[in-house]
Order: sequence, then structure tokens, then C-alpha cells
Amino acid sequence: MKFQKTLSIFFITLAFSNLAFTSPAYARIKLVTLPDRENTMVRLDNPQATLVEEERILNLHKGINKVDFSWKAVHVDSDSIRLKIIQHPKDTRLINVSYPPNSQSLVWDIYSPEARQEKIRISYLLANIDRLVSYEAITDKEETKLDISSYMILRNFSGESLGPARFQLDYGEGFEKSINDGESKRMLFYQANQVKISKSFTFDAGKHPWEPNKQQTNVGIPIHYVLENNKNNQLGKHALWGGKMRIYQNDGHDGSIFLGEDKPAYTPINQKMKLYVGDSRDVVVTQRKTHHERKNIKRNRNNQIILHDKVETMQVTIENFKDKAATINIIEPMSGEWEIIKSSHTYKRKHQQQMEFTINLPAKGKKTLTYRYIVKNVKTI
Amino acid sequence: MRHFISTAFLIFGLGISNISHAKIDLVTLPDRDKTQLTIYNSADLTLVREQRTLTLKKGLNRLEFGWENTLIDPTSVQLRAPRHAGQVRLQEVSYPKGVKGSAIWTIESDIAGPVPVEITFFTSGINWHAFYMGTLSEDEQHLQLQGYVTIRNYSGEDYENASTRVIVGKIHLLDEIAALARRDTPYNKPDGSRGRLPMTMAVGAMKQKAYREMDMAEEKMQMNDMVAPKDIIKEGLSEYFMYSIAGTENIPNQWGKRLPSFNIKDIPIRNLYRFEAERYGNAAHRLVYFRNDKKHQLGNEPLPDGKIKVFREINDKQSLAYTGQVHSKYIPVNQEVELDFGAAREVKIEPVLMSEQTENYQFNNKGNISGFDRIQQWEIKLENNRDIPISVEVWRNFSNAYWDIDNARNNKGKFHKVDIDSVKYTVELPPQSKSTLAYTLTQYEGERQNR
Repeated sequence: MKFQKTLSIFFITLAFSNLAFTSPAYARIKLVTLPDRENTMVRLDNPQATLVEEERILNLHKGINKVDFSWKAVHVDSDSIRLKIIQHPKDTRLINVSYPPNSQSLVWDIYSPEARQEKIRISYLLANIDRLVSYEAITDKEETKLDISSYMILRNFSGESLGPARFQLDYGEGFEKSINDGESKRMLFYQANQVKISKSFTFDAGKHPWEPNKQQTNVGIPIHYVLENNKNNQLGKHALWGGKMRIYQNDGHDGSIFLGEDKPAYTPINQKMKLYVGDSRDVVVTQRKTHHERKNIKRNRNNQIILHDKVETMQVTIENFKDKAATINIIEPMSGEWEIIKSSHTYKRKHQQQMEFTINLPAKGKKTLTYRYIVKNVKTI
Repeated sequence: MRHFISTAFLIFGLGISNISHAKIDLVTLPDRDKTQLTIYNSADLTLVREQRTLTLKKGLNRLEFGWENTLIDPTSVQLRAPRHAGQVRLQEVSYPKGVKGSAIWTIESDIAGPVPVEITFFTSGINWHAFYMGTLSEDEQHLQLQGYVTIRNYSGEDYENASTRVIVGKIHLLDEIAALARRDTPYNKPDGSRGRLPMTMAVGAMKQKAYREMDMAEEKMQMNDMVAPKDIIKEGLSEYFMYSIAGTENIPNQWGKRLPSFNIKDIPIRNLYRFEAERYGNAAHRLVYFRNDKKHQLGNEPLPDGKIKVFREINDKQSLAYTGQVHSKYIPVNQEVELDFGAAREVKIEPVLMSEQTENYQFNNKGNISGFDRIQQWEIKLENNRDIPISVEVWRNFSNAYWDIDNARNNKGKFHKVDIDSVKYTVELPPQSKSTLAYTLTQYEGERQNR
């Protein structure tokens, strides 16, 4: 291995009979060999921590061998270090682990019944090494399909350079790579073409101003693309990790424009990924409350109102200034014991505190949506 | 073209085991064949597309890409070979330790020889904005509107013979490109340092200085007259609108460029004076309206947000008077444009409370007041001191939904209830005239709201 090695095993072998009980474990005399790593596996399946498993071949003497494992300036979680005997698990035994003072190292006492080679596997959590996922996607002019390229970015700031190592993800075969300490690498990971997307606009009456023409600047209506992580879309083989996705659009002139970027959430198989692309200023939503009254007033003995019903009428005007049809979701926050009395369009009760309309507007179209609702049993005391 | 990519592009052969920094068989890349800039105005972002010809060998090729002293986001760099799709792949980009502003690319090629490739990346430091010049006719019934596109380059890089496109639209970005360009490690380090980086002071200060210099350069340019008019091709893409400037442009670092986009004469306009205390304070605002549609000789494209410098023709078109500078929002096709010229001096609108009474008191069981009616007589005094007829809009907002209004019969104009707590009066006023809008407002307090 040609990389500088900071993570190292030194070993000291002393025949059991020769070992004076008083000789301190950390008296590192007589370094015998410096075995190379045979196989290194880096498991990147847990976003919280990276597990490294490496195999080495030790030339053990008969009796107790002291194997010194040190990780100076390498971000190893010392509590996580494990040792496994591979070749002769029945009679090669780990007897003892000791930690010399003030040093990033430990000493394993390994007993071998005879002088022989032994394969061991050392596992530990290594910090400051991880992977990111990023995506580059390009949509067609009609915004119905997306070609997605996924990249994996390995970042190694662990203090240790990893020679050819097998990087294992939470699915698939993994891949072999070398990565030096302090290095980042971006690799093309997979591609999925012609992924179906649906585009929608969302006005949220709980978030957006109701009277956009009274605002100093344009009110942007968020645009989303939704795609499904399934087989029909050349996806669905594994969960899609969250990561920055940059979305471009074919400009029809052998080039592209950049539409925007988002960081979608981790998306399991057959689940939907929602991407916030940008804001439209060509869709304008104006909301007004046009009626309010109290009904069924109930009073206590002091003649104070303790209970009433509230009846209100809401009017939402949606204008599409685009020359393309648009699907607009109108989210209305609700509260209490509400019920719709009358509505010009069908609505969906999303949950107790929200309902939603889905309005399809033709190009250059305008629609007015009105609904009347009652909130029962509003308590005032 | 100065330093950056051209000199920092080196190809070196692979197959040498001690690859890391040994640049053996260095090959310098030829210059850019073509450059295209796509400049955004809602964020400090420009998409650069370069065409170059790489001489590749079959198998793996290594190439160094440098971006030091530029404002390029290294994570955005992509390579494509459009004429050899699928045969040339950018397999890996490595950012080695301690090498700032440089990356090693591994390109796998199925073909040997010269290959035209396209390299795209984001840079910050180039921006554009829309600017308008408006000229009102003497009777203020028409407006001439001239639109311009102004591009400014403070990216540290000269762009020569670049085909230029500008984009109107509101883009969603997670990170500022200028901040990405300044990172020590392009993807940051694991833990703590992840995520959004604030723009460093240095970048901010640098920008400010650059902007100031740009302003000066722009003024100089205006004095030296404008460049020859060029065609601007306009088209809509997704939620964006794109202006492609015909031919190519030279945009040296620190320079600005203003290109005329359109010139429309005689747009019929509507003048309106609006009073709404909650919005404008105690003065009526002067507003000018026209619609971005065919009727108004517009409607071919949305109008990007920008400043409008407005003048008025006077003395039978012999001279001009400066009216003021206003800001226009982005205006989609078919939407009405509202230009707010601010507080009007010649038009006065004053709501006057003439009298107030209370009545219909209600008491609770303890004998305290639990409700009453507040009755107010209002007169809104309107004065048009201009020599042209005007339209006036008066908005009145109330604090709740419990009120009744009784308008005087001899009020001129129209009354409209807008929603549960606001009303609107619209009146036409002849030149040099006065008028009064009178109404009685009953507001129900406490228990009386449940009458």
C-alpha cells in the first residue's frame, strides 16, 4: 500500500513463558511486523456514523502475543473498536485489551496455541468520513418527464487515507475506491431517464398574503414537481437518499436553463418525492372573507355568552396568467368543529386543521372559489 | 480571455501509479470555442456553457480543472459530449487535500481523438436587471414606455464573444453561489460544517465595491451613448421568461451593458388617486394603470420588475419635466400594471369625523355596560386641484365585521363592499373641482354585536 499509514498495528510478540508479570503492556519493544490491510470495507449505510472493517494477517507466535493498535490523529471512536478472529476462531483467543495512558492506542493480548498466521478483522467507527448524494436532473420543455443523474460524494476528513476499499451502501454491491485523507470525490452513481413528474402550484392561505396587489413585491406561488420512486420510472430499486437536486430544463436550443434546486427528503421505494422548484409569479391568488356572523348564542346565568356558532364565507380568486394550463392546490387552514355548508368546488378534508381544493385552470384562465362554513361550539369563556 | 479555466486545464495521462500530483504528459487545453451566459436576476447566479475541444485517448483520461480566483461553484461543474453521447463520461471528480481551487477529473472515453465537449457551471458575479424609461403625454392619458436590459459583470472574468441570455423569474436556491465558490472544500466537511454557509464579509465587501464601480462604469457608458440596438428574442420556459440577445457580446470584467428591449409609444393609461390611511398614511397616492395586453400594444412578454424613470412632455412636446422614479413589480402578460408615484400634492383627500353619538346601551347582571352602538357621521372631502379630470378611490377599513353603513343619497360615484371589514368609494372628479362623500357609520360594540 502506497498511502501514508497513520492507522497502524504494531505487534510485539513474546512467548508466554518469557513474559514477566511486571512488564508493562505498553512497553513497546521489539516491533516485529507491520501487516498491511488485506480487505477494507467501509459501510456507509448509517448516516450517523461510518463503520470500517479491515482484515489483517498476523504472524502469531505460540503463547500470548501483544498486538498494538494505534490511531494517532485518526478520528476513531475508541469505544467502538472490535476484534474478530477469522481463521482459527476456536483456539486463537483474545485474552485481554489494555489501554496505555495518554495515547490513542490499545493493546490486544492474543493467545495462539502454536506459531501460525491468523487472519483478524478489526471493526471501528470512523468519524469525519461520509457520503453525500446529489442529483442533477433535466426536464423536457413540457415539464412532464425528468432525466435524473445521481452522484455520490465521498468526503474523507477522518485523518486516514483509505487505499482500495470496498464502500458498501444500504443496498447493492457497493464499489471499490481509494480516497485520501482530506479528499472529496464525486462519482456518477446511477441514472434514471424519463421519470414521470407532475407539476403543481400551491397557495397556502395560512402562509401567503391574501391580497397580493397590496404587497410591495410579487407574491410567489410555490411550484412543486412530484415523482414516484418506482420501477416504472427506472427507479424503485432502493430508497432515494436526500440530497441537493439541481433541476434544469431543456431550452429547445440544444442547451438548458437552470430551474432551481431543492433538497428532497429520504424517499423509500414506491413513495413520492416532492421537489420545491421555485415560485411562480404568473399565478395570482386573492382571498377575501366576505361574510361573518354568530349563531346559536348560549348564555350563562350572568347573561354572558359562553357558546356560539360562527358562520363565515370565503372567496378565493385564482388567476392564471400563463399560456399553459395549471393545477393549483389551495390550502385553507381550519380550526375547531368546522363543517362546510356550501362550496363551489369539491374540497378534501386533509385533517382537522386543514382542507384543500385542487383547481385546474386553463391557460389565461380565472376562477372564483367560494365556500361557506360553520364552526360549531366556539367557547368564549 | 484571462487566466482561469483556460490556463488551469491540463490533461495528463493515466496509468501512472503515483498519480496524485505527478503531472506527467501535461496537455494544455485549447481555448473556449464558444461561450453562452444565462444570467438570472432573482439570485446572483449565471449558468455558463462553454464549448471546447478535448483531445482524448481511449480509456481513462485525467484532467485538471481549476477555478481559483473566480466565483465559480465547483460542485456545479458538468461535462457532456453532445456529439458523442454515451461515449464520453465524466466518471469522477476528485478534490485532493490541500489543493484549493482545483479538481482532478477522470473522463472515460470510448473514442480517441478530438472530441467537442460542453462544460457547464454556475458562477456568481454577473447580474442583470430591467430598467424602464416612461414618458407621459401632456394630458397624461398616454405613456411611452422604453424597456432596457442592463447586464453587469463583476465576476473577475472577461467574457468575450459570449452569447447572452437573461432570465426573468424567482429561483429557489439552497446556497448562495458566491458562498459555494469560497468554500475551502467544495462539499464542506462532515459534521458541524455542513449546510448553508453565510456569505463571508469579504464577498459582501467585494460586491459592494464592485457594485459602486459598476454604477460608475454604467454612468460613463450612458454618457458615451448606447450600443447599437440588437434584437432580443423572447420566450417562456417553465415559470421563467428568457431574453436571448442576438449575436454575441463582449462583457469585460467590471463593465455594464445596457441593451434596448422594446419601445412602445402611446400606451393608453388610467390615472387614479387612491386614499387608504392604513396603507398610505394621510395623503392620497397617485397611481398610473395600464394592462400588459394587446390593447395597450403590450402583452408579448411579461414585464420584469425594475425601476421606471418617468418624465412628462410639456409645452406642446417641446420640453420634458421629470415626474419621478417608481418601481414596478413583475407583471405577467394580461395583468394590470400599477405604478405608485407616491403622495400626490395636487389632489387632497381628507376624511373628517363630523359628529359621534352612542346609543342602545346594554347592561349585564352586575349592572355594568355590556354593549352599545357607536354612530359616526363622516365626510370625506375630495379636492382635485389639477387641470385634468381624475379618478379617485377611497378605501375605509374597520376593525371588525360588526358595522352598518348608510351612504348619503347625493354622494357621487360608486360604493362597494370589498370584504367583511373594508369598503371602497370610486368617484370621477372634473378638473379643478371639489366633492364630498358623506356616510353614517354604526359600529356595534360588545353585546350589541349579537343583536
